[in-house]
Amino acid sequence: MTRYLIQRIVGMIAVMFTVVTIVFVIVRVAPGDPAAVMLGPDATPADIAALRERLGLDRPLVVQYVYFLGQLLRGDLGQSIFLNMPVLSALAERAEPTFFLTVFSIFIASAVALPVGILAAYRRGSLFDQLATTLAMLAASIPSFWLGLILIQVFAVRLGWFPVSGYGGPGAPFLVRLTHLVLPALALGIVSSALITRFTRASMLDVLNDDYVRTARSKGMGEFRVVMKHAFKNALIPVLTVIGLTMALLVSGAVVTETVFGLPGVGNLVVSAVLRRDYPVIQGALLVIAALYVLINFAIDMLYLAIDPRVRY
Amino acid sequence: MLTRLAYTGAALVALAFGGMESAEAQQRGGAVTVATIGEPNTLDPMISAGDLLGMITQHFYETLFTFDKNWGLTPLLAERLPEISADGKVYTIPLRQGVTFHDGQPMTAKDVVASLKRWTDLASRGKLVASNIQAIEAVDDHTVRLTLKEPFAPLTALLAFNNSAAVIMPAGHMDNPIKEVIGTGPYQLKERKADQYIQLVRYDGYKSRPGEPDGFGGARKQYLDEIRFVPVPDANTRVEGALAGQFDYADLLPVEAYDRLKGQAKTEPLMLEAFGWPMFIMNNKQGMMTKQDLRKAVQAALNAEDMLAAAFGKPEFYALNGAMYPKGHVWYTDAGTKPYNQGDAEKAAASAKKAGYDGSPIRILTSRQYEFHYKMAQVAAEYLKAAGLKVDLQVVDWATLVQRRAEPAVWDIFITHSPFLPEPALIAPLPDTYPGWWASETKNKLLTALNTEMDQKKRVAIWADLQKLIYEEVPFYKVGDFSALTAKAPGLQGFTASPWPYFWNASLKQ
Amino acid sequence: MAAVSSPALAAPPKLASLIVQRKTLLIGLIVLTVIALLAILAPLIAPYSPTRLSVVNRLKPPSERWWFGTDEFGRDIFSRTIYAGRLSLLVGAVATVLAAGIGIALGLIAGFFRRADPVIARIVDAMMAFPDILLAISLVAALGPSLATVIVALGIVYAPRLARIVRASTLIIRELPYVEAARALGVATWRIMIRHILRNLVSPVLVQATFIFAYAMLAEAGLSFLGVGVSPEIPTWGTMIAAGRQYVGQADWMTLFPGIAIVLAVLSLQLLGDGLRDLLDPRLRKDL
Repeated sequence: MTRYLIQRIVGMIAVMFTVVTIVFVIVRVAPGDPAAVMLGPDATPADIAALRERLGLDRPLVVQYVYFLGQLLRGDLGQSIFLNMPVLSALAERAEPTFFLTVFSIFIASAVALPVGILAAYRRGSLFDQLATTLAMLAASIPSFWLGLILIQVFAVRLGWFPVSGYGGPGAPFLVRLTHLVLPALALGIVSSALITRFTRASMLDVLNDDYVRTARSKGMGEFRVVMKHAFKNALIPVLTVIGLTMALLVSGAVVTETVFGLPGVGNLVVSAVLRRDYPVIQGALLVIAALYVLINFAIDMLYLAIDPRVRY
Repeated sequence: MLTRLAYTGAALVALAFGGMESAEAQQRGGAVTVATIGEPNTLDPMISAGDLLGMITQHFYETLFTFDKNWGLTPLLAERLPEISADGKVYTIPLRQGVTFHDGQPMTAKDVVASLKRWTDLASRGKLVASNIQAIEAVDDHTVRLTLKEPFAPLTALLAFNNSAAVIMPAGHMDNPIKEVIGTGPYQLKERKADQYIQLVRYDGYKSRPGEPDGFGGARKQYLDEIRFVPVPDANTRVEGALAGQFDYADLLPVEAYDRLKGQAKTEPLMLEAFGWPMFIMNNKQGMMTKQDLRKAVQAALNAEDMLAAAFGKPEFYALNGAMYPKGHVWYTDAGTKPYNQGDAEKAAASAKKAGYDGSPIRILTSRQYEFHYKMAQVAAEYLKAAGLKVDLQVVDWATLVQRRAEPAVWDIFITHSPFLPEPALIAPLPDTYPGWWASETKNKLLTALNTEMDQKKRVAIWADLQKLIYEEVPFYKVGDFSALTAKAPGLQGFTASPWPYFWNASLKQ
Repeated sequence: MAAVSSPALAAPPKLASLIVQRKTLLIGLIVLTVIALLAILAPLIAPYSPTRLSVVNRLKPPSERWWFGTDEFGRDIFSRTIYAGRLSLLVGAVATVLAAGIGIALGLIAGFFRRADPVIARIVDAMMAFPDILLAISLVAALGPSLATVIVALGIVYAPRLARIVRASTLIIRELPYVEAARALGVATWRIMIRHILRNLVSPVLVQATFIFAYAMLAEAGLSFLGVGVSPEIPTWGTMIAAGRQYVGQADWMTLFPGIAIVLAVLSLQLLGDGLRDLLDPRLRKDL
């Protein structure tokens, strides 16, 4: 058991290391000069060269890599070229909207998907089931930014129920911020609910046919109790897994959604960073997000292990 | 970046500055939310020439002079207009007394001298005059003297801009990059959260000039408690935010949105006519555009009317005008403008043949940061193709464009725009060193004459000759004049529309 | 003695009837074929050239003359939509093929060669730790935005999914008796790979590839919309929506039709993928 644990941890570290290397390679290959951007159109080539030197952009790649690793180990993600602040701080500042957007989206997605998925499984083959499955597939085909545009037009501009963009001004109370998140969470949530619905349905179907459920039924337990007590609980584990995995989908979706709705989140930061050639930020964001994903997956795996000792590789 | 100044002269005064609200008692208090086109990369107006930067920083940094409602020079931190010696080389500037910085320290000549020196070191406008400056010195605590080697008429205009600006900072805060934002302006910086907001609050120690407001000059009253600049890079989101009442002011909206903004309860459109002019700059240094006949071919091929229609939509938003300045402007002249807006494919093809055009694609560099650039490029490409010229349209982000246009080997034409500058000598593509590299002897002779001549009438005549030369040598192609659209909430009162919107003298109806 | 009828003795069901029986597969196939045909035959079908400007006719609503209306340059949106289909489908298809190429190669090597496995597995895991769009944006930014780099970036982003499936399948198949026998007989490794393993990979790869095609199309649309993908003047469904965004409320048809096109294409691919999965792999036939 311990040996397995150690194996997994070593594996995780190896993956992290690979992640770091991949990020470094990607960012260094990019064209476009952040020094030229910072100094503006009037800058002379001499000014640009001087700034490049100051930022360390002219040293050989290998040297930059080693330096980079050293910095990471110290927890230093570098300094944003454009924002003139540490990358870690920039990310920390932006984390809140992305976090709440993700949570809110999962909440909306699950609130729809779980009951629909369970019911569809329960009434397999019925009209409801077919409708649910088709709608789920439809929802998964809609580009979230397109849905976002439509939602803005209808609910924010025409009906005025929600704000058009942004996250609320300085010092805005949390409830106000929440109203800014409703439409983007809907846009993201609807699209991700599709995946959760189908998976819930599939899990439930598996479980509903299992022996112990049949046993419970034969014991004369009420249908509802059977479903909720036994079936659902056991179907929950894989469903939770999917929800966890949906995190990755959501972060991806958040990138586009944050841009459409002007939310100052991590996704928006990355897009701006790409357009502004702010290497350190692109690097930092990729690293942090990938690292979080690896850690979350690891945690889910450990959870699996704790709950179901039969799972072993 | 690009400076903006709709310098329209006497006849168009009412348009350049929107009318003031009728005298309803303005209330004190409230915070105004302003949607801007993006996040500035710095809060130091000396090191960059961006309009956005100037618009924001002018609230907390001030210059010695500024522009009044007729775009003439008016004193701001200076007490009066400068005394200029007869030979045009010595400027004596008296300073206002009792002005304090946001940290409570008084502003003296020492601060002004240090600031001007920093400006000549760091600012692109300052560098233009740096080599011409003999000395900048403090005559006494409240007077500064600037001595030039040669007379330079545009000097005072340069000192009045709010971007690449000669703002006055405390002498002890001359770091680059700037560490603390301390100026003399009516509002001071409270908090900046990059990509979220820049929050300014009223500076209670501010001493306004006496009297009435006059353009950017005159009295500056501080009705508003707070001003919040919110970056909203997507133009459509700015429109939608204005419609929903989320923004009290939304800057630089696509002119197409005018109809959507009309007749709305929560917002009203503001049009700034004669805002600027787009241009196609040719590469006069390297590549196929060095051949004058090919440049003339492009000049003949382009149909400015279609380009403007595609970029700006309705005729109210643009004007077909070959002269570099709009009608009614002090610098307006129609000298030499015959070759404007021809759209003549045959003539273009003949000219291209004469130039020995070999069929290589003309590399046009543009960006979508300014959507109208991109639209004009697309129309232009079709007209050039109709004349038998091949086109390679390269659409890049602005950062890459700025980088690429500095390298003569990689482009043939790039697109940009300019406001109507109070000094034609300041028009960007005129100097030899600006990308495009127009280095003609005749041009340089005319420019020197323009800069050293102090008599206005004679200067206009020299300018007319220069414009003729532009149409003959075609170093760049002017597309037309365009107007800008912004929107404000009905509750925002006392607001005067201008190219660099400012919020002193403005108030919110409670 | 119970007679167990072996599958070989029963009459094999005809492929056509199998397809017709499964509604999802059928619908997906039909819709996709229609879209593909429209796209491929665009030069014949399109009433106007997609690039022909007619500034005087800008922003006209759908009518008999312009079925989907015109855009801000007076270009016919119907023609542009079907031409854009070519590029959107092309990007999706080529990216999928690229992903398959890379993914299968990596998966085979990892599954077959013990020593390469841990390294490749880590790389695959690391790649999958990045959210798709983020990774795609970064890759496109790194390589410089163009049609080719978008395709390459998407191919790289989706390759790991296939690599995983191929590796898993390879690990299982190589343990099968007849494969072991072949190795014992000294058959060349590459021969084994191609003859035995690849043959068995066709179904799972095909199913996954269909879904990847769908994801790639959605991703390209997103990238183009953000302005970090294909150059904005190349008509793809994503760039059309981005261009139309300015005119929402004024000319909704500019964003509506390309959006619907994306939804239809992606939906049909998903139906196809689902149907294929049911059809090709009885083990997965689980009423999903």
